[in-house]
Amino acid sequence: MTTETRSLRAAEAVYEHPLARRERILRTAHRVIIYILLLIGAAIILVPFLWMVSTSLKTERQLFRYPPEWIPDPIAFNNYIDAWTSLGSIAPGLTFWRIIGNTLFITVLAMFAEMFSAAVVAYGFARFRWKGRDIVFFIMLSTMMIPPTLTRVPSFLIWRELGLLNTYDPLTVPAWFAWGPAYIFLLRQFFLTIPREMEDAAVVDGANTMQIFFYVMLPLVKPAFLAIGVLSFQGNWNNFEAPLIYLNTTQMYPLVLAIRFFQQSLSKEAPKWHYMMAMATMMAAPILLLFFMAQRYFIEGLTVGAVKG
Amino acid sequence: MTGDPGAFATYYPTLLRYVAVAVGLGILMYGLYRLLRLAGVKHEPATGFTLVVPWIVGFLIFVTFPIGLSLYLSFTEYNILWDRPKPLADPLFNYKRALSIRIVELPEGERPIQVLGTMEGETPETVRYREIGRFNWRGKEYVIGATDGYFLKGVWLTLRYAVLSVPLGMAGALGVALLLNQNVKGVGFWRTLYYLPAVLPAAAVALLWYWLFAPSSGLVNWLLSPIYRLLDMQPLGWFTDKSLVLPSFIIMGLWGIFGANTVILLAGLKNIPKDLYEAAAIDGAGTFTKFRHITIPMLSPALFYNLVTNTIAALTIFTQQAFIPTDRQDGWFVNWFIYNEAFNFGRMGYASALGWMLALLVILLTLLIFRSSAAWVFYEGARQEAGGA
Repeated sequence: MTTETRSLRAAEAVYEHPLARRERILRTAHRVIIYILLLIGAAIILVPFLWMVSTSLKTERQLFRYPPEWIPDPIAFNNYIDAWTSLGSIAPGLTFWRIIGNTLFITVLAMFAEMFSAAVVAYGFARFRWKGRDIVFFIMLSTMMIPPTLTRVPSFLIWRELGLLNTYDPLTVPAWFAWGPAYIFLLRQFFLTIPREMEDAAVVDGANTMQIFFYVMLPLVKPAFLAIGVLSFQGNWNNFEAPLIYLNTTQMYPLVLAIRFFQQSLSKEAPKWHYMMAMATMMAAPILLLFFMAQRYFIEGLTVGAVKG
Repeated sequence: MTGDPGAFATYYPTLLRYVAVAVGLGILMYGLYRLLRLAGVKHEPATGFTLVVPWIVGFLIFVTFPIGLSLYLSFTEYNILWDRPKPLADPLFNYKRALSIRIVELPEGERPIQVLGTMEGETPETVRYREIGRFNWRGKEYVIGATDGYFLKGVWLTLRYAVLSVPLGMAGALGVALLLNQNVKGVGFWRTLYYLPAVLPAAAVALLWYWLFAPSSGLVNWLLSPIYRLLDMQPLGWFTDKSLVLPSFIIMGLWGIFGANTVILLAGLKNIPKDLYEAAAIDGAGTFTKFRHITIPMLSPALFYNLVTNTIAALTIFTQQAFIPTDRQDGWFVNWFIYNEAFNFGRMGYASALGWMLALLVILLTLLIFRSSAAWVFYEGARQEAGGA
């Protein structure tokens, strides 16, 4: 390349047609505005969240300091232990490990049964033709409209008749009966996308229905299966309504009820926000961790119903 | 409070029954399959039906039966401490009690409770009309009485919440999704960020906002303090101010649900084929035209899905109210109100009737949205078929 052409190029680069220049500036401005708006949105999302964590690390005196401090000095990590000590002094035996154990017991049992039964039912809806299938499927989807309010009182009475109030049964055992229509729907959508040949090949190899389901179909819908696993974990971990109705021994409470018990036993004058926020952070932490690890499945589970359906 | 038998003693009976139910269900399914085959049903329909049986059994035990029972209970009086419900002389009493309104003139010097009187007809107890509001008309004072003003206020609060928060949440989410769809760098990062509040437990969100909105030491009032000084006004009371309870709940609700909607709409936007926009551009369509005639129709299934799920969620809001105590006098969200009628005041029959009314409201609104969907939701039929069986 000669010097001449190079300088020509340079001149070309410096000189810009006024219209092109205007467009370039407009486009840059457009970009800048987009990022500014996104940053404002991010601030709205993050500020309350950071405030929760920040409060959870403050001492009681720092809570009401004015102006508020974002990074407390000193950082009171002890809140995460003291909150439980304080809770234990209100209700004996209400320890961290007990409550976490209860929460995990409910969550894991319900989640496992929910995932498994939803997959079986979805398989029956997706891969086999039988009379009345579409009607049953439609009825199943319409149950999503029924608010839990309607079945709350009679379900309570049924469990009372069975003598199983104040046990974990109402929170875990019914999960075997595929109680999440949304999960069934999601899995069915995935089963539908798998080519028939996969099953036919397995049949030729002499596999029975259960074998096909476990060894062929489930691995193929693994992303969707994990997606409902993640959603189900979240749903059961956060579930507040059912434990509120069925459990009344404080020591049997899951985390969410323990927090509410704590909130209610504190006087209105001294709400102990640093303890409450430490508890809230603890409750959110496993879900957030799960979210960051399995984000793909969260998004998958969330979007498939809306976009594929 | 009953005694604590210890962790192990509370876990293992449930664990046993949990396993037993699973095994029982498995045996039931196997038996049913054999039976169907014996009856001459072919392998495919027999298997398909058998696989769906867990849901059908659950539907009968945990949905159909409770719904029927709840309908029956709604015509009875049933205290939580009683063994059996007591039939009411007037089967519709619970419904009438929830909805009765009376407007009467209030003469000078009289107290509302005296002029409003009691509910007529056969009632199991004396039911008084209580004042829920008054107004002046042609120089005369009138008082509005209701037999259950708390319920009506709760319904009114819940309806306003749904009508205001659902469209706001959807519009905001659509805005952010459109922004994120503009070839923004690091979409994944932004999406994660915006979705964050949606994964937080509702209980944690409620506690957090209760604290953010604390009147004297909350962050929100501190952030707004320059504005208060500028306008020379008192700091707002948020959840403690009865005129601000609804806006406070709406703001909290938007923060929580917003991200989930955004993620759904963004996935919808990414699914719109680019060539549609290119074709439109060749035809000389501007940005707005493209938005109006391509983006909105192609996105309508996702919008529809959000509209339905958000409306149902808004009408049945529960946990947030449980963690944020407001004055019952100003109305509690109806789902929480019904819970309290049943389990705090022990009125199971009455709560069943209220539950039915809420359910009818939810179903009515959902069906309305479904009916309207024919007019504005666009399904790309061909692609659906290819995806289907």
